[in-house]
Amino acid sequence: MKKIFLFSLLLISSHVFADSGSRLIASGGITGFEGTAGGGITPWAFIGGYTSKEEISYSANVQYLSLNDYTLKTAGLGISLFDRVELSFQRQRLDISSGLTSNVFALLTDGAITNANSATIEQDIIGAKVKIFGDGVFTQNDWLPQLAIGAQYKKNRDFDSSLSLPDGSVPLPGIGVPLLLGAKNDSGTDIYLSATKLWLGYPSGYNLLANLTARYTRANVFGLLGFGSEGDDSAKLEWEGSLAVLISPTTAIGTEFRTQTNRLGGLAEEDTVVDAFIAYFPNKSISITAAYVDLGNLPLQEGSSGFYLTVSGNF
Amino acid sequence: MMALFIRAITAALIAIFVIGCTSTPQQSLYEEIGGHQTLNTIYGVAITRIYTDPVIGHYFKGVPKKHLRDRLVTQTCELIGGPCEYDGKSMVESHTGLGIKEREFYILVEYVQGAMRDVGLTYQQENRILNKLAPIKYETIYL
Ligand code: HEM
Repeated sequence: MKKIFLFSLLLISSHVFADSGSRLIASGGITGFEGTAGGGITPWAFIGGYTSKEEISYSANVQYLSLNDYTLKTAGLGISLFDRVELSFQRQRLDISSGLTSNVFALLTDGAITNANSATIEQDIIGAKVKIFGDGVFTQNDWLPQLAIGAQYKKNRDFDSSLSLPDGSVPLPGIGVPLLLGAKNDSGTDIYLSATKLWLGYPSGYNLLANLTARYTRANVFGLLGFGSEGDDSAKLEWEGSLAVLISPTTAIGTEFRTQTNRLGGLAEEDTVVDAFIAYFPNKSISITAAYVDLGNLPLQEGSSGFYLTVSGNF
Repeated sequence: MMALFIRAITAALIAIFVIGCTSTPQQSLYEEIGGHQTLNTIYGVAITRIYTDPVIGHYFKGVPKKHLRDRLVTQTCELIGGPCEYDGKSMVESHTGLGIKEREFYILVEYVQGAMRDVGLTYQQENRILNKLAPIKYETIYL
């Protein structure tokens, strides 16, 4: 239904200016791994792409994050309307190596089963963001940031997809990884408020961007491990931030963090996520970002860090 | 490799901040870029392009190039610490009735940016000038 809505918007919009947009390059950020424009792991108050009040633009992205036994691939589409509203659809796919699922069974069965197939957890995210206040780029004469509120509706598609063994048997029917680890729900909605400001010419003539996002969520590991738990089903406030410097007209470097609440505990204990990135904007149509991301603990993999690569296009 | 990546980015960020906090500019930005002559060239280049732009060119029909160029040079000179005093019409007054759209504003900004680059200003000088011009946005659009 929502997809149809997005699609019809694409169709009715052909009479407004629809190229990549006229705003200053890099001011749209990149598309994060949840499909929302901003940094790689947190939304910004800026609307994705380069649309002005009179323009519409579309975006598409693919992303890859390698974390040893886990690999996260995501891809999505977005539309930015009149520098006011941003809508997005993102599909995430987390691959879990068979080495890791085998360890899960070995733990559960006290070593009776030591060999399992690799597993996949998919999640869909429908995002909406609305700019509510300010111009974070052009009001250089005061300190007020740009503010936006947003929501990400997340639906875990493998909440109850059973793990299987190499012989095709399914020891735990109807129990997917999120359920196995104690998650309560297969869907949830994150609500966030972002404040973002760009300082032109500071520090030392470069441009500095700072973002702070407060997110109200019940998600376990972004929703990839479901939502809530038996013991703790309440939404909590999480904090996220980005600090970036545009070191050239086409290159930004920066760092980010994102807190998480540890609801599932045990194997699925959650840590604060941090990353350092370099983003390249050769023109307004494309951006390429490489980052090093550290998620801390993931189930059965205490130090989960690795390389992140994403390409976003605007048109 | 990963550790190196993180360290390189952290080091670069720290370096930029340290330089930013320790350097005390001896001269104004106006002097640094080469004063009146440089500004005059920048706006000469930008105006030629603006006047022939298919989207925003029409706004400038009947506006004498020399007049606008002189006004822009004086205004920017004042904004970046030069010895000038802008005594032209107020920004709201000169743009009221034109109905300039935000998209058109950005087009003009990119011409000025492009001219600064073509004339040889550094990226840093360009950003520091943009910092001063940026707030004028809301005295020019949708009026
Ligand atoms: C930060 C952006 C801008 C600055 C700093 C600026 C500055 C100026 C200045 C200094 C003048 C001369 C006023 C006088 O005659 O005393 C002027 C006039 C004018 N500007 Fe702008 N301007 C900006 C944006 C724009 C934009 C985006 C447009 C149109 C697309 C525009 C169109 C005009 C026109 C047509 C005039 C002549 C008005 C007249 O003489 O009646 N300006 N502007």
